Amino acid sequence: MIRDITLGQYYPGYSVIHKLDPRMKIIVTMFYIASLFIIEDFYGYVLIVLAVAAITAVSRVPVRFMLRGLKPVMIIILFTFVLNMLMTPGTILWQWKFIKITEEGLYNAVYLALRLILLIIGSSLLTLTTKPMKLTDGIESLLKPFKKLGLPAHELAMMMTIALRFIPTLLEETDKIMKAQQARGADFESGGLLKRAKALIPLLVPLFVGAFRIAQELAMAMEARCYRGGEGRTKLNALKFRRRDAVAVLLTAAYIGILIAERVLL
Amino acid sequence: MIRVENLTHVYNKGLAYETKAVDDVSFTVEDGAFIGIIGHTGSGKSTLIQHLNGILKPDSGKIFVDDIEITNKKTKMAEIRKKVGLVFQYPEYQLFEETVYKDIAFGPKNLGLSDDEVDFRVKEAMALVNISFDEFAERSPFELSGGQKRRVAIAGVIAMKPAVLILDEPSAGLDPKAHTDILNMISMIRKQTGNTIILVSHNMGDIAQLSDLVFVMDHGKLASAGPPSEVFADTAFLQGIGLGLPPATEMAHYLAARGCAADNIILTRDELVDFLAETFGSGGEAK
Repeated sequence: MIRDITLGQYYPGYSVIHKLDPRMKIIVTMFYIASLFIIEDFYGYVLIVLAVAAITAVSRVPVRFMLRGLKPVMIIILFTFVLNMLMTPGTILWQWKFIKITEEGLYNAVYLALRLILLIIGSSLLTLTTKPMKLTDGIESLLKPFKKLGLPAHELAMMMTIALRFIPTLLEETDKIMKAQQARGADFESGGLLKRAKALIPLLVPLFVGAFRIAQELAMAMEARCYRGGEGRTKLNALKFRRRDAVAVLLTAAYIGILIAERVLL
Repeated sequence: MIRVENLTHVYNKGLAYETKAVDDVSFTVEDGAFIGIIGHTGSGKSTLIQHLNGILKPDSGKIFVDDIEITNKKTKMAEIRKKVGLVFQYPEYQLFEETVYKDIAFGPKNLGLSDDEVDFRVKEAMALVNISFDEFAERSPFELSGGQKRRVAIAGVIAMKPAVLILDEPSAGLDPKAHTDILNMISMIRKQTGNTIILVSHNMGDIAQLSDLVFVMDHGKLASAGPPSEVFADTAFLQGIGLGLPPATEMAHYLAARGCAADNIILTRDELVDFLAETFGSGGEAK
């Protein structure tokens, strides 16, 4: 399962979506997330699903790859689904002893689950089509105005870059150590909760030791190349707002406009 | 005996960057043999050996260890782990216990052995890897030197008493002294336990010196297999797939190009020394 988390993982490609300015993509994603809360009826969802499908098609990220990101949160989605279905009062559709399913509950449950799924798929689209480096460049650039308020924009961005950069490394490390301990007869899969938690020690200790080793090596490598924070630092690939970004902004505006119109008018 | 039939392993199946790490490989390893596996980085050596104790599952093909089909889902993995011990690259990164003793005891304990038996095996394994029990048993593995850590980690696998011991680049990143120590240790283990040993290495000299049989991996395929004297005779082939020759063999080629050819292929330093002594030494004459 640990390998199925696509959040924070980049899917290499050369589509227009991949090339868009990351700042723009972050803002569009925020608008997209907000848009999920504008709609409240069937047609609204159709519109959003269509929009997401269109962007996915343009980005050429395989659908299967994107849906993998849903697997780890499936339990949460199912949980909210069931809870909403059973707890919403209204017209009763089906009843068995104290368990009742209402019409409103069913609608609520489907909509909420759909909302969560769309939320994850939408934000995965951002991370799947944007290199982590560009993503943090974008975040840094967007946070710059808050520097006056004492927000260390560059440092935050650098921390995120490093965290993102080392997700695959640490996953690989975990995989390696797990295999090595399995070769020594360790069993991570069977037994009760306590036994399983105990079984994790041979995995976690080397993993932490490794993480500290990696961190120390990285810090030294950065110092050796004279890293000293964000002050006066220039970028090799400065972010540029291009025509395709303007088009994307217009499309987003149209998308939000249509959603609002749909809600007000229908 | 290990028998591998048409083993294939694919990474990232179904994705754009799908790669066949091991591609239709078949071979047999007899009991007590010393197998050397060579191949450039990414040729599938590590993936291949991780199949031999069931850590990785093949996409197709079968593996038999002593006629137990380990690729069969019903086979108990614990049985296989007992038979085939695998020492990964940089095994010192898997150390986790408070003391050297406890760390080496981890494997045997997982096998469900009695405390006495575990104790016996830890002592035996420490003797085999040449780590003094009295001095190191109660020390933290994290305060040892790189070479010592590695030997402790290898002891952790040896203590499970596998009939087959697989080592993935056991001397990578060590200084020459620690390197030699590890090699001597492997020879010692073989002599004392009679294990089948499979050694993966980039060091052609080590492979030439130790192996009975050499397997050459290239792009996931078993490109060549044979005794070192045959495999290392085909210089053009080895260089074509990014590999080299043992230093002694290279030296012999150098001498041959200058009119001083040996009758047989020279693989090890000792053979080279003998040849030189015979050719140039007292009593001998340059050919």
